[in-house]
Amino acid sequence: MSKLELSGGPVLTESPPGAVPVGVVPAGVVSGGAAVLGARDADASREDLWLSLADAVVNMDEDESARLSRESLRRRYDAYETIDRGLAKGMERAGRLFEEEEYFVPELLLCSDALNAGVEVLKPSLAGAADGEARCRIVIGVISGDTHDIGKNLVKLMLASGSFEIFDLGRDVEPELFVDKALEVGAGIIMVSSLMTTTMEGMREVVRIRDKRGLKDVVRVAVGGGPVSQAFADRIGADAYSPNANHALRLAGRLAKSMPGRPDRSR
Amino acid sequence: MSDDLSPRERLLGVLRRQGADRPPVICPGGMMSAAILGVTETSRCPPPAAHHDAALMAGLARDVRRGTGFENFGLPFCMTVEPEALGAEIDFGSLACEPKIKTEPWARAADVAMRPKGAVAASKRAGVVLEAVSALKKSDPDVPVIGGLTGPLSLAASLVEPMNFLKGLRKDRESSHRVLDYVAGQLVDYAAALVEAGADVITIADPTATGEILGPKIFAEYALFYINKIVGFLHSVGAPAIVHICGNVRSVGASLAELRGDALSVDAMVSLKNLKAKSEGLVAMGNLSTYALEFADAEKVAGAARLLKRQGVDILAPACGLSTSTPLANIRALTGVVKDGGREVCASRFISL
Repeated sequence: MSKLELSGGPVLTESPPGAVPVGVVPAGVVSGGAAVLGARDADASREDLWLSLADAVVNMDEDESARLSRESLRRRYDAYETIDRGLAKGMERAGRLFEEEEYFVPELLLCSDALNAGVEVLKPSLAGAADGEARCRIVIGVISGDTHDIGKNLVKLMLASGSFEIFDLGRDVEPELFVDKALEVGAGIIMVSSLMTTTMEGMREVVRIRDKRGLKDVVRVAVGGGPVSQAFADRIGADAYSPNANHALRLAGRLAKSMPGRPDRSR
Repeated sequence: MSDDLSPRERLLGVLRRQGADRPPVICPGGMMSAAILGVTETSRCPPPAAHHDAALMAGLARDVRRGTGFENFGLPFCMTVEPEALGAEIDFGSLACEPKIKTEPWARAADVAMRPKGAVAASKRAGVVLEAVSALKKSDPDVPVIGGLTGPLSLAASLVEPMNFLKGLRKDRESSHRVLDYVAGQLVDYAAALVEAGADVITIADPTATGEILGPKIFAEYALFYINKIVGFLHSVGAPAIVHICGNVRSVGASLAELRGDALSVDAMVSLKNLKAKSEGLVAMGNLSTYALEFADAEKVAGAARLLKRQGVDILAPACGLSTSTPLANIRALTGVVKDGGREVCASRFISL
């Protein structure tokens, strides 16, 4: 399913430069020809900048990402939108390239660095917007006994490009620490990774401890990693399973939306 | 009828493409350690002590072979000997948990402080391994002793923070090559010492160097180049090399054809049949799923092993690193298949000789 969705070409058609439909122009602006043209030009150049920012992320170009982010601030574009429609879009494209085996781990890590270079520039201008956004918090880590954290780090960097706040516990983490941390920070999702069959069982513990503390309806547990499967996730009572980092991003969005009694925090 | 070849003759025969009466069944140690709980819980030479003492290490290797039925000694029982010698901090684990890297000492490849040539071979723990190899060679001359090396990329990623290391492979190629050249040199010297101590075969296992992590270009530029460098040295001293590549190899097929190892060991998702069909004369080792070995029953394991045999596996072995909680009965089911099946192939055993 996901392959079909991916090969459909949204990557290229999402924001073609200069193709902003007339409908995008707010009705109130349509008072005279010149004004319409001006608004359209402004929209088009904003879209252009976002597209270039996304390109900078996909091209692993930290300097370009920072430069364009500064340019966005100079033009007084909204910082949050610049991240969301520029940088994060680029990371989504990088994630797809990773799924399609065009990019591999080194490339994805460098795309993430380019994304972060832009975010660093934009962050100071974000404050107001960020306060208003109740971002879904995610606790993530590699289960105890296991020090393989490449997969976990990939998931983390994909999530960081979305609308989530990540609390990374690192590797070799005891099951109760996941739940402790989730309680401490008010996280809605716990993500646990394992690359070894020996350590997979620790994931069951995370679910058990969460349930024991009465958090079943409040905190979702998602699992992933080499030996883990949907069947295993079902068996241990985890809420979700993700086979790769890009999927984890979509999954987190779905989980955040599905939180009962919670506002839609996935944005 | 008993087997005509000694386990050592059989394994070397297969690696030298001289044929054998049947496939050997082995577990090469290092990343693929067979020191499972079913053995270590009753061994008088248990880890973690066995990681530090030559007599215990040799004793554990004997217990592993006796308990599991694998037809080799595989040393050491972890991938931390070389990283420790080059500066990494090690957590030596327990019976259930193999030693692992606690912290990588350097943030970036450019920061790595190099130790003198031969530092790994001269290190205390390498000394333990070398002494154990000599002892086993002396006590059991018919059993092949396999010395396990931590592959060059895995070793480098045990010294440099792994995420930065992986980025550096693209971003700072000069420093990356400098570090890889350094670790490959250290591995060559250590391999020379292992061969000198009596190791019959050297295995290079490089779990960081998978196609899935690196992709084809970086795999060819680094993994292929430095692994071949080590294999080239081993060939120059007449020692056969087994190379193990983890994960799916789909994206690195072209590189695999250029790997110079005497046998290629692959993970469970790789079809040995297809691999052999693609590359004539390949000595294929593997690849009984480590998940099956841990979670299936003995009968299923035996069935999977028989299938591998029918598909023409040259060396029967687990597909990747074994979980320490793998049931001993399942390992015995795996090793039993070629031994019990010895009769089946008696009639044809001289054909390939």
